[in-house]
Amino acid sequence: MALHPDFPLQTERLRLRPFTRGDVDGVFAYRGREDVARYLFDPPLSRDECALAIQQRATQTGFFEEGDRIVLAVETAHDGKLVGEVSLIWRSVEARQGELGWIFHPDHHGRGYATEATNALLDLGFGPADMHRIFARCDARNEPSWRLMERLGMRREAHFREHGLFKGLWDEEFYYAILRDEWLSLRHV
Amino acid sequence: MSSLRLPIETDHLVLRPFERGDLDAVRRYHTLSSVQRYVERPTRYEEDVAAALAVMRSQVELHRPGETLTLAMVRRGDALLVGHVSLKWSDATAGQGELRFAIDPAQSGKGYLTQALTAMIDLAFDHFRIHRLMVRCDGRSHHSIKLMQKLGMRLEAHYREHALFQGEWDEELHFAMLDREWRPTAKVQDLPMRVRVA
Repeated sequence: MALHPDFPLQTERLRLRPFTRGDVDGVFAYRGREDVARYLFDPPLSRDECALAIQQRATQTGFFEEGDRIVLAVETAHDGKLVGEVSLIWRSVEARQGELGWIFHPDHHGRGYATEATNALLDLGFGPADMHRIFARCDARNEPSWRLMERLGMRREAHFREHGLFKGLWDEEFYYAILRDEWLSLRHV
Repeated sequence: MSSLRLPIETDHLVLRPFERGDLDAVRRYHTLSSVQRYVERPTRYEEDVAAALAVMRSQVELHRPGETLTLAMVRRGDALLVGHVSLKWSDATAGQGELRFAIDPAQSGKGYLTQALTAMIDLAFDHFRIHRLMVRCDGRSHHSIKLMQKLGMRLEAHYREHALFQGEWDEELHFAMLDREWRPTAKVQDLPMRVRVA
């Protein structure tokens, strides 16, 4: 089922919208940082790499086939400041699976923005995208990340130890997931 | 990764590569619905079993990542083929391996799989220098779950409805073990013989 949502997605305090060329500095402000990149697959990005990434993302705004991703810039509604990004990947068409991701600028941590924005993507995934299960993963040492997943009502499904190498070291990884039924019961209490 | 010495002998079994003449014996258990319930590639018909046997017969060494070693479990004494075990070398840089198995339900509960898998785990960690071994099984496959716990494997993942399996939502468990978790419980090595002094 192809999906091209109308943007922006509006939450209480945030706007989720496609990236534009004007976002390069805003993205570089967090993707260029060592502490932000620590648990990401990419190393810190240069400004040019951020520009390239944004070019790719400008078209990642809908689902047409398996593997497609929706990547959205998150900005505050009151002053339009870019605080981070969220993504939803269509992992399996047949089994209706999605993967959730997010990256936020450390200056804006602790205000519930990530929770608010990722919740909006869960709504998109289970609502218009009609997914059955949405999962997310993180490094086991990245506590803020798995705490967020628990706030979203996701269950820890996997704790992999040394199942691969991550940036030259043995990794330890958590998988969290939420089923459509679980999301429905959280939304309609 | 050569110089693999086969067959491998356990208390009650001989683990050897499959042979052309094993077709009837494999068919006897592999087409049973209770075995089919949990296998990834169905082999309901005779020609499916023949194709599966052809593949298993070719899986006799691990030279490159991605390859699989499959051995028939043959009972000592009467040479009855009771099942098979396999080791897949899934990743070289991170030293990852995966074990799989199937047994004739008529022969289960006699400790044969425990013996065969113990030998395969020894082989994986000692001979092939695998760092982490994993086993996948269905959440309803209680015999497999018990067996994994008995072998000392950790439950690492419990996926719920993350894929469709044989037409319905699956429940998949992943068990795993690291080399250093296995070695402490491995059999105590015999001390080397030494000349008696005084």
